[in-house]
Amino acid sequence: MASIARKNLFEDIPRFLVAQAGIMFAVSLVTIQLGILKGFSRSTAIVIDYASADLWVASKEMVSFELTSPIPADYINQATQTPGVDRAEILLLRAGRWRGPDGKLSPTRIFGFNPDGQLFAGWKLRDGELNAIKQPYSAIVANGVQKSLGLDPPDERTGGSIGGLPVTIVGTAEDVQSNASSPFLFASLETANAYGSAEVNSSINCTRNAGGDLNCVNSFKNRPIGEKVGELPTPKPLSVGDPITYILIRAKPGEDLPTLKQRLTQALPETQVLTQTELAALTRNYWEARTGVGFILGLGATVGFIVGMVVVGQILYASVADHLREFGTLKAMGAPNSVIYRIIIEQSLWMAILGYVPSMGICLALGQWTQVTRGIMILIEPSTGIAVLVLTIVMCVGSALFAVQKVTRVDPAIVFKA
Amino acid sequence: MTAIGFNRFFHKTAALDSTPSQALTPVKEAAIVATHINMLYRNGSEEFKALQDVNLRVKAGEVHLLMGPSGSGKTTLLSILAGLLTPTAGQVCLLGEEITKFSRSRLAAFRLQSLGFIFQGFNLFPALTACENVEVAFHLKGIQGPQARHQSIELLTQVGLADRAHHRPQDLSGGQKQRVAIARALAGDPQIIMADEPTAALDSHNGYAVIELLRELAKTGGRTVLIVTHDPRILDIADRVTDLEDGKIVPH
Repeated sequence: MASIARKNLFEDIPRFLVAQAGIMFAVSLVTIQLGILKGFSRSTAIVIDYASADLWVASKEMVSFELTSPIPADYINQATQTPGVDRAEILLLRAGRWRGPDGKLSPTRIFGFNPDGQLFAGWKLRDGELNAIKQPYSAIVANGVQKSLGLDPPDERTGGSIGGLPVTIVGTAEDVQSNASSPFLFASLETANAYGSAEVNSSINCTRNAGGDLNCVNSFKNRPIGEKVGELPTPKPLSVGDPITYILIRAKPGEDLPTLKQRLTQALPETQVLTQTELAALTRNYWEARTGVGFILGLGATVGFIVGMVVVGQILYASVADHLREFGTLKAMGAPNSVIYRIIIEQSLWMAILGYVPSMGICLALGQWTQVTRGIMILIEPSTGIAVLVLTIVMCVGSALFAVQKVTRVDPAIVFKA
Repeated sequence: MTAIGFNRFFHKTAALDSTPSQALTPVKEAAIVATHINMLYRNGSEEFKALQDVNLRVKAGEVHLLMGPSGSGKTTLLSILAGLLTPTAGQVCLLGEEITKFSRSRLAAFRLQSLGFIFQGFNLFPALTACENVEVAFHLKGIQGPQARHQSIELLTQVGLADRAHHRPQDLSGGQKQRVAIARALAGDPQIIMADEPTAALDSHNGYAVIELLRELAKTGGRTVLIVTHDPRILDIADRVTDLEDGKIVPH
């Protein structure tokens, strides 16, 4: 049959464009909400995804990647000596208060790792060299966070400090920032350790009184702002008593990972050992399920879907109402209801496809823009694209069913009314 | 036009059966037989009798006019005869089949195969070309593709619109639109054509052209044509006329 649905749709182009704008808005809303949810979820564990460790040793108290307790640094030796371990590397996570060149404070998350290591830093550098962090008090910053660190223009390298210690930015890491976390800085183990404990200088002065009791005074002093690198001592290497956050393990080729996990757990008391996939899943699940963020973003996507249903429903209903006489004519001519349903559903499918394609283009461009300019990931994977397409079709066809109700009730005798 | 006005054409009126008690039975030569048709509309406690004990027989192959003033019940009767409205009481037989007993789907199938409609407002699909409007009727009857296209063009040629086949209704005059509607009504060669005020929306020139076409249609096709109209010009082509007034057939 000459496609009445398609021709009805294109009969009035301005009206069609207005209708499609409504659908595009709804589809974009759902896509962006889903993209933000997926992007957020992915970003929370993206640092883990970039690593190439088989196993991660963490505190037994670890809840998610960034919510954990320290483990002793000397566990690295025991881990290395555990049979089946090919390589073990330390990862430090420290929190710091960044003071930008503009003097404003912002929280940061500092990652300390061995720049000569093989297991952690799998991410790409937008500029700079990984080896540059071997220089004391230098760090690589995650791309997209420069503005929130007061680095303006974004390629500004100096002027920031953590706990009074200066920071020289020596590179920018691509696509590595968690949307749920403070701006990431990547430094050597020594520098990260120094930043992590640099907030205040403390000293204990003890004197013994006449009775033989020890009288101690713990005094804290802020570091002076703007101290120059040359005036500072080189950061101290980690000692066995220092707290660390994770040990990344690479198993020997052919090693059975569950067995190695057991061995490591026995060798390292008060720890838990997870595969990289398990740790990433645990972290994502934490953010999605245990915080309100996942719920809120999921709710946003649901609201987008409902808004879309209403918008498409209204458009289709109005379109059907406008063509009611034509549907009545078809019924009078003897067309079975199935023919009329097919026309309305075909129209809704056209609307779905023609609304989906440009919306997806807009969302992809928007996602690229937010990633580059703000470091916020709107992740539209092929699976998201397919899911949104299915949702769009469900939305449009579901709305069409409302419109069908109107046609079903149409009195075919309407055709004889002039 | 009033019922008195219709009586000027008395010599043609013979179709009605003015004795309501005499039941009509479907006979081979009768294409349309309506027996004791009553139609009652209720609005709360108020009742309105749109049709009262109407009996009608239309012979196969004749052009039959249903005339009467506005509100006389013509369109209601036409809707009932077409199976688009269910009467409160009474029977309708079309081509020997009692359609008042049909299910909705069977009724739709019967309309599709045996009836063609011409509407006062043309009821064309504005988004489709003249040819596509006719094709829709063929498609509904299961004729698809080039065959449907070819037959549609043929019908449009018959109604003198071959050169306008690819124009949309908005680009056609009222008379041309009605001719497209007539071509659509003829698709699949139905045995009965029902027309509702086919000339009412047309000027005199186009009105005459459509009347001529209806005359041709009746003469050449051997179809039964039932026309509801106010237009006295159509009387010239009618074999019989039935007058309705206040929901009742006016005896002559």
